[in-house]
Amino acid sequence: MLSLLIFLPLIAALLILILPNRVQNQFKYITLGVSLIQFVLSLFIYLKFNSSAINAGVNKESQFQLVEKLSWIRLDLGTIGNLEIDYFLGIDGLSMPFLILSALVTFVATLASWEIKTKLKAYFSLFLLLNTAVIGVFCALDFFLFYIFYELMLLPLYFLIGIWGGIKREYAAIKFFLYTLFGSVFMLLVIIGLYFSVSDPITGNHTFNMILMMDPANYADGSIFSALANQNLFGMSARLLAFIVLFIAFAIKVPIVPLHTWLPDAHVEAPTAVSIILAGLLLKVGGYGIIRICYSIFPDAALQSAWWIGLIGVISILYGALNALAQTDLKRLIAYSSVSHMGFVLLGIASSTTEGISGAMLQMISHGALSAMLFFLVGMIYERVHDREIANFRGLAEIMPQFTAFVIIAFFASLGLPGFSAFMAEAFSLIGAFNSEQVNGLLPRWMAVLGSVGILLGAAYFLWTLQRMFFGQIQLKGGEDWLVKLKDVNMREKIALVPLVILTLALGIFPSLLFDKMNASILAFVQLILG
Amino acid sequence: MGGLEFSKLAGFISLLVVFLPFLSFVFIIFGKKKGGENLALFNISLAFILSLSLVYLNWNKAPLHYQLNWFFIGEIEFKAGILLNNLSLLMISLVSGISVLVHIYSRSYMKNDSNIHRYWAYLGLFCFSMLGLSISDNLLLIYLFWELVGFSSYLLIGFWFTKRAASQAAKKAFIMNRIGDIGFLVGIMIIYGQFHTLDIDALFGENGLIISSIIKDNFWVYGTQQIPEIWLTLAGIGFFIGAMAKSAQFPLHTWLPDAMEGPTSVSSLIHAATMVAAGVFLIARVYPIFDPLVLNIMVFIGSFTAFMAATIALTQNDIKRILAYSTISQLGFMVMAMGIGAYTESIFHLTTHAFFKCLLFLAAGSVIHQLHHYRDKLGLDFDYQDIRMMGGLRKSMPLTFIGMCLASAALIGLPFTSGYLSKDAIIISAFEWAETKNGLAQILPYLMVITSWLTVVYICRLLFKVFFAKSKLLTVNQIEEIKDPPKNMSYVLVVLAFFCLFFVFSLHPFSFENSWLWNAFPSSLIQKNDLFHWLIPLVLSFGTVVLSVLSYLLYVKRNNIFKSEQNILYRFSKREWYLNEIYSYVFTSSLEKTSKFSYWFDQKVIDALVLKSASFVRFISSISVLIDKYLIDGLVNAMGSLAKGIGRLAQNFQTGKLQQYLATMLLLVITFFILIYFL
Repeated sequence: MLSLLIFLPLIAALLILILPNRVQNQFKYITLGVSLIQFVLSLFIYLKFNSSAINAGVNKESQFQLVEKLSWIRLDLGTIGNLEIDYFLGIDGLSMPFLILSALVTFVATLASWEIKTKLKAYFSLFLLLNTAVIGVFCALDFFLFYIFYELMLLPLYFLIGIWGGIKREYAAIKFFLYTLFGSVFMLLVIIGLYFSVSDPITGNHTFNMILMMDPANYADGSIFSALANQNLFGMSARLLAFIVLFIAFAIKVPIVPLHTWLPDAHVEAPTAVSIILAGLLLKVGGYGIIRICYSIFPDAALQSAWWIGLIGVISILYGALNALAQTDLKRLIAYSSVSHMGFVLLGIASSTTEGISGAMLQMISHGALSAMLFFLVGMIYERVHDREIANFRGLAEIMPQFTAFVIIAFFASLGLPGFSAFMAEAFSLIGAFNSEQVNGLLPRWMAVLGSVGILLGAAYFLWTLQRMFFGQIQLKGGEDWLVKLKDVNMREKIALVPLVILTLALGIFPSLLFDKMNASILAFVQLILG
Repeated sequence: MGGLEFSKLAGFISLLVVFLPFLSFVFIIFGKKKGGENLALFNISLAFILSLSLVYLNWNKAPLHYQLNWFFIGEIEFKAGILLNNLSLLMISLVSGISVLVHIYSRSYMKNDSNIHRYWAYLGLFCFSMLGLSISDNLLLIYLFWELVGFSSYLLIGFWFTKRAASQAAKKAFIMNRIGDIGFLVGIMIIYGQFHTLDIDALFGENGLIISSIIKDNFWVYGTQQIPEIWLTLAGIGFFIGAMAKSAQFPLHTWLPDAMEGPTSVSSLIHAATMVAAGVFLIARVYPIFDPLVLNIMVFIGSFTAFMAATIALTQNDIKRILAYSTISQLGFMVMAMGIGAYTESIFHLTTHAFFKCLLFLAAGSVIHQLHHYRDKLGLDFDYQDIRMMGGLRKSMPLTFIGMCLASAALIGLPFTSGYLSKDAIIISAFEWAETKNGLAQILPYLMVITSWLTVVYICRLLFKVFFAKSKLLTVNQIEEIKDPPKNMSYVLVVLAFFCLFFVFSLHPFSFENSWLWNAFPSSLIQKNDLFHWLIPLVLSFGTVVLSVLSYLLYVKRNNIFKSEQNILYRFSKREWYLNEIYSYVFTSSLEKTSKFSYWFDQKVIDALVLKSASFVRFISSISVLIDKYLIDGLVNAMGSLAKGIGRLAQNFQTGKLQQYLATMLLLVITFFILIYFL
C-alpha cells in the first residue's frame, strides 16, 4: 500500500519520460491523475487507520501499521559484521496525517503548474520524482532508506528552482542546495555512528532500523552513542552532540532563525508550484524529522536541550513576524510568515506535553494547507500581471471580489481566527508550552506568553496587507492594462482552493478529526521522551 | 459524537437560536443576492421569539447545562456545550431583540446600497457569534465566538471598504481587540494549567474549582496542582485585558470612536448595545477568578475611563463620535461597578444602556440619513454628521426628537427613566463601597458624580445643537423640508423609546431594588446605607436640572460656548487626550522601526554571515587551488621532469648498437667483480 503510494509517481515520471513530446500538454493531466489517486489512497488509509492505544507505534515496531519490511542490502563485511539495510516502511499516528497532506498539497501544486510553459517533460518528471521522495520520507522507518529519500528531495528541487524560477533563480537554487546539504552531510556521520552502536537483538547484526535505535537496550556496551557509556566527543556528550547535529539538519528545513535565510530567496525565485511544495511539505519534513528522529532516538539529549529549542521557537515566531511586517513583496511576506508559524511547531515540540505536541502536529498540517493556499493566491496575481509588490496594488476587492474572499479566508485563517485550524494549533502549542513548567519543568511560562505576542503581530501584517492591497479606491501600477488582466478566480483555481478551505475549516471546528487519530501515538511519544 | 444527548427541548431551542442567524449568513453568501433582507429578518425574529420562550422556560430556575464531546487531547476531554442561566438568557434575548430592531431599521437605512446582500450576511454572522458567545459553556468556545465577534465587527466596520478611513478603522479595531485576546488566551492557559478543564460551570459555579482552590504560602493550590500566587492575579488581569479591549476601556478604547466609520445601524447594534457589552459579560462569567488586586485595578480603569471619555465627549462635533465616547464612558461605569462588587447593578446598567444607547444611535442615524438625502437632493457638500451643521430639527423631525430626548434622559438618569434606576444604583453602590475603604478610594464616588454631571452637559450639548440651535449652514426653510425618516426607522425608534422608561424594568420608579432584573442576580455584599438611597439621587437630579439649564443657555442662546476654542483644556479634550498621537508615536512607529531593523538585520547580518561564510569557503578553496597548482602539481611536475630526465639519460644508452651494449655490459661485469674481490 505504502509502496504503491510512494512509487506511483515514479512510475508516472518514467511514463512521462517515455512519452513523446507531441503529447506534452497531457503531462499535467497525468500528474493530476496521480495526485488524485494518491489522495484517494491516503484518504482510504486515513479511514482505515487504527487509532487505538495498541496501535500507537512510535517506538514499538509491532504497533506500526501498513508495515512493509524486506531485506534490501545484505553485505558480509568480514570482521565488521553484516551490513543490514532494510526496505522498511510503516506509519503511525505521527506520520499518517502527513500522507494526506502530501497528497493534497501535491494536488494543489499540480494545478498551480498550469502556468509552466517550457520544458514540460522535464518539469513534470522532476515534480513527480519529488513527490516520491517526500512521501518516502514520511513512510521510511529504516534510517538509511530515510536518508536516501531525504537526499532525493534535494535534487529535483534544485532543478525545479534553478530552471523554472525567477530572475535570481540560480543563486536561490544553489543557496537552498548548499544550506540543506550542509545539514545532511553531518547527519550522515551520525547515521553511521548510530549504525555501529545499535544492533538488532534478533540477528545480532548492526542495523539502520530507527525503531531499534529508540530502545537504549539495543546499544552495544561502550558504543559511541550508548546512553549508559555516556561517551564524550570533542568535550561534550556524544549523544548530545549527535542530537544537535541532527537537530540542525532538520531545523534548517523547518526553518529556524537564524538558519532560515535560504527560505525567502528560494520562495521568491521558485515558481508557484514549487513554493507550494516547499512551504506545504518540505518544511514539515523538518518538523517530522525532529519528532521522529531527533526526539525519539535521543530523548535524553532532547530534554537537555528543551529550553534552547523552546527559545529558538519563540525567537522564530517573533522574528519571523517582525520581518514579515517589513516586507514589500507579497511572496516574501508570506515566506517570513512561514518562519513565524513554524516557530509554534518548535515551541510545541519543546514543551514535550501532550497539548504542545498535538498543537505542533496540527500546526504542521494546518500550515501545510494554509501556506499552500497563500502561495497559490500570490501565484494567481503574479501569473496575471507579473508583479507582486504590495504597493503596486490597491482596491483589488472591487476588481476581484471572489479572489478577495479567498484571500480574506486565507489571511484570517493564518492569523489564527478561531474556527480555522491554525487557531487550534497555535492555541494548543501555547497551552502546552505554558503547562510545561508545571508538568515537566522544561520550559518557563514566559515563553508561552511571549509566543502569544506572535499572534498579535500576525494580525498586524496580514491586516495591513489586506488594507493596502485590497481595500480603498482602485489604483494599479499597470493602469488599464492590469484592469483587464486581473480576472477573478477561474474554475481551475477554485478546484485548487476549495479543498484547502474545507480542510482548514474542518480541522478548526472538529480538531478531533486529527486528534483522534494521533492521540495514542502522541501519548506514547510523550511517554518515550519523558521516560 | 452523541448528538442524541440533546433530547431536551431547551437545548435544542438554544441551538436553533444560535444557528438561525448563521443560516442567513450561509444562504446569503452562497445563495441568491436578492431577498437577503427578508431571510435575515425572518431568521433573527424567529431567534428572538425562541429566546423569549427560553426565558419563559428557564428564568430564575436552576441553570441548564448541556454538553457534547468535542475532542480529546491526550487523555483530557474537551466538551462543547450550552450553559443557560439568567445571565445567558438575558444576553440572548437582549442581543436577538435589539438585532431584530436593527434589522428592521436597516431595511430603510441601508436601502440602495449596492452591496447590501453582504451587509445582511455579515449581520447574520455577527448575531451568530454574539449569541454563541452568550450561551457557550466553556472558555475555549467563548474565546472562539469572542474572536468571531471581532471578525464580524471587522467586516462591518469596513463595510464601505473603498473608504480608506473605514478600512483603517476596521484594521485598528481588530488589532486592538487582538491585544485583548492575548490577555484572554493567557488567562485560559493559566486556568487550564491549573485545573485541566475550561468548563465554566465546573470552574466558576457554586462550589466550583476556583472557589475550592486556596492560597497557601504564596502558592495557588488546588489538589496536587500548585502555581505561584502571582499567576492567579495574572489570570484575572488577562481576562480583564480581554474585557478591556472589547468593552473599549482605557487604554484600549481608541478603536471604538474610529469604528464609527461603519454604517450607523451597525454602530448602534455592535458598538453600542451588544458587542461592547461582551467585555462586561466576560467579567461577569469569570467573576470568581478576580482577586482583590484585580478588582481594584478594575475600579481604577473603569472610573478613569468613564471620566476621561465624558470629558472628550464634551467637545466632539461628529454626532456619532460623541455617542461613541458616551458609550465608552457608560461602559466604564459598568466595569467600575464590577470592580466594587456591584455585579448585579453592572448587569442591570448593561441592559438599560443597551436600549437607550441603541436608541441614541438610531435617532442620530435618522438625522444623518435624512440630512444625507437632503444634501444629495440639493447637491450641496457638507459633513452630514457634524452637529454644527444641524440645528432646529425639533419641529421638522418631531418623532426623532422625542426619541432622542427620552434616550438622553435615560442616559443622564432622570427620574422615571430606566437609566435612573440602573445608574443611580451604581453610584449608590460606589458610595457604599467607599465607606468601607480609606484613602484614594474615597474620591471614587465623587468622581462618578462629576462624570455623571459631565454626561448631562455633553448630551445636552448634542440635543440642543441638533434640535434647538440655529444651523450654521441651512436656512430655517430648508430645515423645514427635512422630515422624519421612513416608517421602518420611525417604528423602531418608538419601540426603543418605550424601553427607556422605568416600568419596563421596575414598577416602582424610584427603587431599583424592586426591579425584576435586579432580583434575578445575586445581590452584592456591600453594606447598605439607606441615607445614600435617597440623598444621592436627589443631589444628582438637582445637579442635572441646573446643568441642563446652563447648557441650554450656553449652547442655544449664546451659541459660542468657550470664548476661546484655543483653550488648552478644550484642545486636550477635542484631540481626545492626544492618545491617538501618543499611540502612533509609541507603538505604531516603533513597531515599524523594529520590523525594518529586524529585516535589515536579517539581510545585513544573518544572510551576510551566511554569504560571508560561503565566500570564506570559496577563499579557502581558491588557496587550495593555488597550492594544488603550484605546490602539489609543481611537485608532481618536478617528479615528472626528474623521471623524464632519467629517462632521457637512459635513452642515451639505447643506441641500438650491439657492440656498445656488449661493451657496457662488460664494463659493468668487470666493475662488479673488482668491487667484490678487491675491496
